[in-house]
Amino acid sequence: MSGSDIAAIFQGAIVTVTLSLIGILIGLPIGLGLALIRWANVPVVAGIVTLYVSMLRATPLVTLLLLLFFALPNIGVPINPISAAILALVMNTSAFNCEVWRSALMNFPKDQYEAAQSVGMRAGQRFRRIVLPQIVRVSLPGLVNEMSLLIKVTPVLAVVGVVDITRAAVRIGAQTYEPLPPLLVAVALYAPIVFALVSLQRWIERRQIAAEAAA
Amino acid sequence: MTMCPLTCSNVLSRRLMLCLLAAQFAMPMLVGNAQAAGLDEIKKRGLIVATEDDFRPFEFVKDGKPTGFDNELIDDLRKSAPFEIKQEILPWTGILAGVSTGKYDVAITAAIITKERKQSLEFTSPIADATHYYVKRKDDKSISSIKDLSGKTVGVQAGSALLARLPELGTMLEKDGGKLGKIVEYTSYPEAYQDLALGRVDYVVNTIINLKTLVAEKPVFEVGQAVSGKSFPAWAVAKDNKELLAFLNEFIAKEKASGRFAELQKKWFGEAFPDLPVAFEPEF
Repeated sequence: MSGSDIAAIFQGAIVTVTLSLIGILIGLPIGLGLALIRWANVPVVAGIVTLYVSMLRATPLVTLLLLLFFALPNIGVPINPISAAILALVMNTSAFNCEVWRSALMNFPKDQYEAAQSVGMRAGQRFRRIVLPQIVRVSLPGLVNEMSLLIKVTPVLAVVGVVDITRAAVRIGAQTYEPLPPLLVAVALYAPIVFALVSLQRWIERRQIAAEAAA
Repeated sequence: MTMCPLTCSNVLSRRLMLCLLAAQFAMPMLVGNAQAAGLDEIKKRGLIVATEDDFRPFEFVKDGKPTGFDNELIDDLRKSAPFEIKQEILPWTGILAGVSTGKYDVAITAAIITKERKQSLEFTSPIADATHYYVKRKDDKSISSIKDLSGKTVGVQAGSALLARLPELGTMLEKDGGKLGKIVEYTSYPEAYQDLALGRVDYVVNTIINLKTLVAEKPVFEVGQAVSGKSFPAWAVAKDNKELLAFLNEFIAKEKASGRFAELQKKWFGEAFPDLPVAFEPEF
């Protein structure tokens, strides 16, 4: 394995991290939105969201991706591999995020919400100041769990030609007929990426504990 | 009182069933009417070419750049074609499906011509001789001829023509009273070779060209005998795309006439195939 091979795997790492980050950053708020729609029981829309979430959770990511990639051009929507990959990641992770957010919302004490109402807070204020800080705390472990799963599911994006860490490693193995060394490099790259994510979670949790102690 | 949740969930599941039913009818709209682009449209928007990334020596990636037999031909095509060439590099899994749905105009890879594939695809003139051979571990003394393969585990690529034509080997074995052993399918060949080295399969079937390149690089393996009749790989376009097919065949004919084709074959396959047919009708 040459130096340029290792550079190729690092290039794959940039793709893995970028696509995961985009998927997480778009999927997180969409998941929250979906959970709020279900929580508030918005007529008709809540039913559609329920159906969306159950269908997306029942569809393997690779199948969804191939379907989007090959079917969308047929109805006149041209889509390139990267957009198809992001779309599939977001659709998939938002469905799972929705359920994590919803579990926190379902356990949210109703009396707090009513107390906020009685002191005259508006709906937006109630959500920002009372609900959101508390559900973020409860949802965080579940959300980070889903994020780390998302990072590790990115190799399936290779079916449409996205070259992530694993695909870069496979390509090198196919050229040198020595698949093991590049795979070892690949494995060694996933660990720090997920570790960075978990450290971020710990940091947020510590800050919350400190803020609570100060209050 | 207890009835309510039951009826509620009934209504929900009925709605779900209706939605799923509607989705079933909507699906053909999504997957149907695949339209192949004619040459006029290609001249406007460019030719979208799909190639593989782990199929040495035809196409593979070295130092981040696509190389191999087919990629050098694409370079030639780029110079002579009256339109732009856009290349997509992806694993084998999505390539033929992408061509038949119109996502790519042509698969410039070594797609073996088979009867089944000809139902949805059109093939150019063959680009090499791809008769199927088996490869084994050099130190495996139990295999020295075809009849020794009886009952042994074979590794082959999933969805490949090599898999589709294994029954041919089965027939050869049955003549001597043997039979085809367990078949293990891989998404691509590097994994199959690795498993052969580890002893999890006893032999791997691939085309003679791929195996020769492998053995040149990895002397722990040894190429055996042919396990199929004549077999040719070619580039694939969508079924109704006669214009593009004619254009590509003309390009191949020109490359053959100028001696460039033989030169590239020698460089990547170690030998030239001077008497390749212009068109090939597969028996299998």
